[in-house]
Amino acid sequence: MTEEYDVEFVERGEREARFLVRGVTPGFANGIRRAMLADVPTMAIDTVRFVENSSVMFDEQLALRLGLVPLTTPPEGEFGEDETVTLSIDVEGPATAYSGDLVSNDELVQPADQNVPIIDLKDDQRLEAEADAVVDYGKDHAKHQGGVAVGYRHLQQVEVVGDLPEFEDEESRIVRGVIEDNGELVPTSEFDHDLSNRYPGKEVEVEDVPNAFVFHVETDGSFSVEELVTRAADSIESRATELEDAVQL
Amino acid sequence: MELRVTESTDTELSIEIAGEDHTFMNVLKGALLEHENVSAATYDVNPEQSGGQTEPILTIKTEGGVDPLEALEDAAVNVREKAISFREAFEAAA
Repeated sequence: MTEEYDVEFVERGEREARFLVRGVTPGFANGIRRAMLADVPTMAIDTVRFVENSSVMFDEQLALRLGLVPLTTPPEGEFGEDETVTLSIDVEGPATAYSGDLVSNDELVQPADQNVPIIDLKDDQRLEAEADAVVDYGKDHAKHQGGVAVGYRHLQQVEVVGDLPEFEDEESRIVRGVIEDNGELVPTSEFDHDLSNRYPGKEVEVEDVPNAFVFHVETDGSFSVEELVTRAADSIESRATELEDAVQL
Repeated sequence: MELRVTESTDTELSIEIAGEDHTFMNVLKGALLEHENVSAATYDVNPEQSGGQTEPILTIKTEGGVDPLEALEDAAVNVREKAISFREAFEAAA
């Protein structure tokens, strides 16, 4: 009894993608979504040792900000649960300390973005610190969440059923997501989310396609969309295997 | 994942699945309900701060002389296969 899924990309980029999955139940789609948010571990700074902090913020506040900087996460198996990567920062005012000023001792773990401001330093203010990054789960702290905007919507089928009365003012008809028109997948952004732009003067019917969901996935730069999705599926698979083994005993 | 049976008869089983949350329990429940010999399946979780029973408890009722534990095993296999085929379909498209 194996399910047949069919996946098709609508839009794809390194950090953001939209893809359609057919043959998936709402429950399973939600399981995948939740797993992407909470069960795919990422690297983040967890401990900071301040050498000098003469900025206007407390050590704890800066430690939180450093923790929230997205770091690239090496592929599975590269890092153990309690291994750490050390990053250091040394910025002297007047200047703004950015995530790009973090210097990592590991090629694989780097700030995913260079331009996240940490603190604005005035004359004679200085920030020097050493931070340890660890791998952990989004379940435990949002800084370890790899997916930042993960959701899904039904695929919507649009059908032209007739013409609108000739002298009637056209009303806008807003839909968001992806529509299917004669087998063609069209993101609604292409016609400004308004069906009256795409089908002027036509009467259309919109219906959800059963068990077809369009996922929108965006990562914080820790890894690619592909990695996030496959690792979410892996996490569900490994739990099912674990349960199977536990039941057999 | 630690299992603890809290109630068990020939056709009914209540089992605590420690360390899991809605992510896995809801998918598992869905797979159980697809099983043709399962007449009822549900799970209950309490919030972490509520104290007392906070681990999910899964309850399964079966018919047709099927052992609930066996149905649970079938459902686990089913979830595993779904996850694998989802990943394969995704990788094929990627």
